[in-house]
Amino acid sequence: MRLAIAEDSVLLREGVARLLGDAGFDVVAQCGTAEELLLKANSYEIDVAIVDIRLPPTHNDEGLRAALEIRANHPDVGVLVLSQYVEVGLAMKLLADSAEGVGYLLKDRISDVEQFVAAVRRVAAGGSALDPIIVSTLLARRRDDDPLAALTPREHDVLELMATGSSNQGIADALVITLRAVEKYVSSIFGKLGLPSTGSESRRVLAVLMFLRS
Amino acid sequence: MAASVPPWSAGPGVARAPELPVLWAGALAGCAAAAVSVQLALASDHVAEPGLQAALLDWITLPYVLAGLVAWWRRPDSRFGPLMVTAGFVMFLSSLQWANAPAPSTLGLAFDLLPVAVFVHLFLAFPDGRLTSRPARVVVGAGYAAAVGLQFVKMLLGVGGPDNLLAAVAEPAAADIVQDVQLITLAALALTGILLLAVRRRRFGRPLRRSISLLVDSFALGLVMIAALMLAGAFELPAFETIRRVTFGVIGVAPVAFLIGLMDARLARSGVGVLFVELQADPPPGALRDALARALRDESLTLAYWLPEFERWADLDGRPVELPAPDSGRATTLIDLNGAHVAALLHHRSLDDERELLDAVSAAAGMALENGRLHAELKARLEELRGSRSRVIEAGQKERQRLERNLHDGAQQRLVALSLDLRLLEARLSGDPDARAGLDQARQEIALSLEELRAVARGIHPAVVTGHGLAVAVESLAARAPVPVRLTVAVDGRLPERLEVAAYYVICESLANIGKHAHATSATVDIARKKGDLVVEIVDDGIGGADSERGTGLRGLADRVEGLGGRLRVWTPRGGGTRVRAEMPCD
Repeated sequence: MRLAIAEDSVLLREGVARLLGDAGFDVVAQCGTAEELLLKANSYEIDVAIVDIRLPPTHNDEGLRAALEIRANHPDVGVLVLSQYVEVGLAMKLLADSAEGVGYLLKDRISDVEQFVAAVRRVAAGGSALDPIIVSTLLARRRDDDPLAALTPREHDVLELMATGSSNQGIADALVITLRAVEKYVSSIFGKLGLPSTGSESRRVLAVLMFLRS
Repeated sequence: MAASVPPWSAGPGVARAPELPVLWAGALAGCAAAAVSVQLALASDHVAEPGLQAALLDWITLPYVLAGLVAWWRRPDSRFGPLMVTAGFVMFLSSLQWANAPAPSTLGLAFDLLPVAVFVHLFLAFPDGRLTSRPARVVVGAGYAAAVGLQFVKMLLGVGGPDNLLAAVAEPAAADIVQDVQLITLAALALTGILLLAVRRRRFGRPLRRSISLLVDSFALGLVMIAALMLAGAFELPAFETIRRVTFGVIGVAPVAFLIGLMDARLARSGVGVLFVELQADPPPGALRDALARALRDESLTLAYWLPEFERWADLDGRPVELPAPDSGRATTLIDLNGAHVAALLHHRSLDDERELLDAVSAAAGMALENGRLHAELKARLEELRGSRSRVIEAGQKERQRLERNLHDGAQQRLVALSLDLRLLEARLSGDPDARAGLDQARQEIALSLEELRAVARGIHPAVVTGHGLAVAVESLAARAPVPVRLTVAVDGRLPERLEVAAYYVICESLANIGKHAHATSATVDIARKKGDLVVEIVDDGIGGADSERGTGLRGLADRVEGLGGRLRVWTPRGGGTRVRAEMPCD
C-alpha cells in the first residue's frame, strides 16, 4: 500500500514514516508543503495521503484545502487529516457528502500505533476514521427531547464506535461481543433513531453524523 | 477676520489693479476718440446722415471704453475689462473710413468688419476674458480670419473705390463674391456663438444671478443682431440700414447690463443679511453649510475645517478632506481668524467673480465656522482614539496568535513526537513488563499534557477561527454548549479576521454565561450580515437580570467590539431571558 505524508515538522514526519514503514506500508512521498503533496498525489500512484491540517506558508487551512482537492480529483485515494485540534465543523466540511476513504484524527492518536495503523488501512479500503472526540462531542450535545435517551448503554457504545467509522468486526472486537450481536444492536439503533438502514459502513457514518449534528 | 484668496483660485497669478492715472488716461483717450469720430463724420464728403452715424458709433465706443475701464479697475484679475476697452477702440478705428484723405480712409476700410470679430470674441470670453473651450477658440479665430483676412483680399480686388490705396486690380465682381462669403461666414460664426453661450449656461452648475443672466441674454441678442446684419449685407436687403441701427443699439446696451451686474454684486450682499439672521439663531454645525450655500447661491458648496493638530483639512465629522486641485473646476476660499486657518469654502469657480459676496459671507460666518471647526476637531480626536484602541486590540491579538503558533509548532509537536518515540521504544522492550508499564504511564502523562496544552492554546487564540473561519468554529461551540443551541449562520465566505475572532469571543463568552447564570433550557445563536454590519445575537430563555459579576466579562467583550467600531448591547429583563447583540462594521 503506497502512502504520501505531508507534515511540516521533520521530526514528526519521519517518525510517522518510520512507524508506517515498520507496519508494512510503502511510504513513497514525504512532503513539507501542501503544494508538494498535490504535485506528488498527481504523479505517484498513491492509496492514501496523510495530511497535517496546518501547513506552510500561512499555517491556516492549506492542509485542509489540499485534502479536499485530492478528494475531488482522486476519488479513489484515501485522505487522512491530522490536526492538533479537531473541530466538528471541519469534520463536516471534510465529509461533505461522503465518508468514503476519509479520516480526521487528532495528532495524538499517532502514538497509539495499532489503532492508527488500523485507521490508515480502513481509509485506504474506502472506509472512514473519525476522531472519538468529534463523536463524543456530538453525542454529548444537549438536545430537546433527546432521542439518544432511548438507547441502552450498550447501544450507546455501539453508536459511538459506529460513528468513528469502525466496521462491525471492529466493534465486535472492541466490545468483545459477537458479530451477530453487533448487527442486532445496529439495526435496533437505526430503528430507534428513525434512520433508514444503509448498506455500506462508511455511508452509515455520514448518516449517523448528520443525525447527531442536527 | 479676513478672507484670503489662494493665488490659484483666481487663475494664474493675481493681477494688480491698474493705477488711477492709467484709468483716467484711458477714459480721456476714449472721449478723444469719440470726438475725433464725430469730427470725421461731420467733415466727411461721403457719409450720409453724418450726425446719426457718429452718434451710433459713439453709442458703442464710449460705453465700451468706460465700462471696460471700470471692470478693469474692479476686477484686475479678469481680462474682460481690457477686452471691452479694446472693443471700444476698434469700433473707433473703423470710423477712420469716413476720412477724406486716402491713408486714414484705407486704414478705416481695413478695420471695417473687425468690430464684428471683436464682439464675438468679447461675448464668448465672459466672465474672465478667457476663451475656455476649444469650440469658442475656433469660432473666435475663424471670426478674426474672416474679418481681417477676407477684408484684405477684398481690398486687393479693388473694393472701396479710389480711396483704397491697397487696390491692386479692379475686379468688382470677384470682390462681391468674397464679400458675400465673408458676411455669411461671420453670420454663421455669430449663430454658433449663441449656441456656445446656451451650452455654457447649461453647464454652469449653479443658478445665474439675475443681472448676470440679463447680461448673457444681451450678449446673445447682440450675436443675433450681428448675424442678421451680416446676412442683410450679403443679400443686400433693403432693410439693411434699419437693421444696422438696431444692431448698434443692441450692442451698445451690453456694457450697461454689465455695469448693472457689477453693481449687483454689491447688492447681492443683502443676501448676507439673511445669513446674519440665520446665524443669530445659532444653527447646529451641520446646518451651517446649508445656510452658507443659500447665501452664496451655490448648492455644491462644501466646507473644510483646518485641524492644526493633525495638519490637515477635515469635514464636520473629522474625516480628511483634500482641497480641490487648481484645474478641477472648483475653487477654494480660505477663511482665517487671528492669523490662523479656520475653514475653507470649496465652491463653484464662478463665485470667484463675486469676490465681495464671498468676503461678506466669510466675515459673517467666521464665529459659526470656528464652532464647526472645534466640532470637527473633537470628532477627529475621537476617531484617532478609536483607531488607537483598535490598534491595541489588534496588536494584542497578533501577539496571542504568535504565542498559539509557537505552542503548536513547538511544545505540542515535540510532545506528539516524544509520545511516538516512547511507543516505538516500548515495542522493542518486549521482555521487560515493568519498563513497558513505565513507558505506558509516561505516554498517558503526555496525552494528558497535550490535552491541557490544547485547552491553553485555544484559550490564547482560537486558531480554528483564523484557519477556517467563524462558521466552522461556532459549530463546535454550539455542540459543546451547556444547553441546546439553534445555530443560524447567514454569512457567506470569510470576513476580516479581527471581526471573526471578536464574534467568536462574543458567542463563546455568552454561551459560557448561559451555562453559569441563566438557568436556561435553550438558546439561539444567529450570525448574519446586515447592511454592511456583522450582526451576532445570542438569546436564551433563562431568568434574565444579569448581575454585575456577569458584567465584567461582557465589559471586556464590549471593549473588543467597540474597538472595531461596533457596539455590544445586552437586554436582560428579570425573568425574560438575556439577549446579547453585537454589531460590527465589516469594512
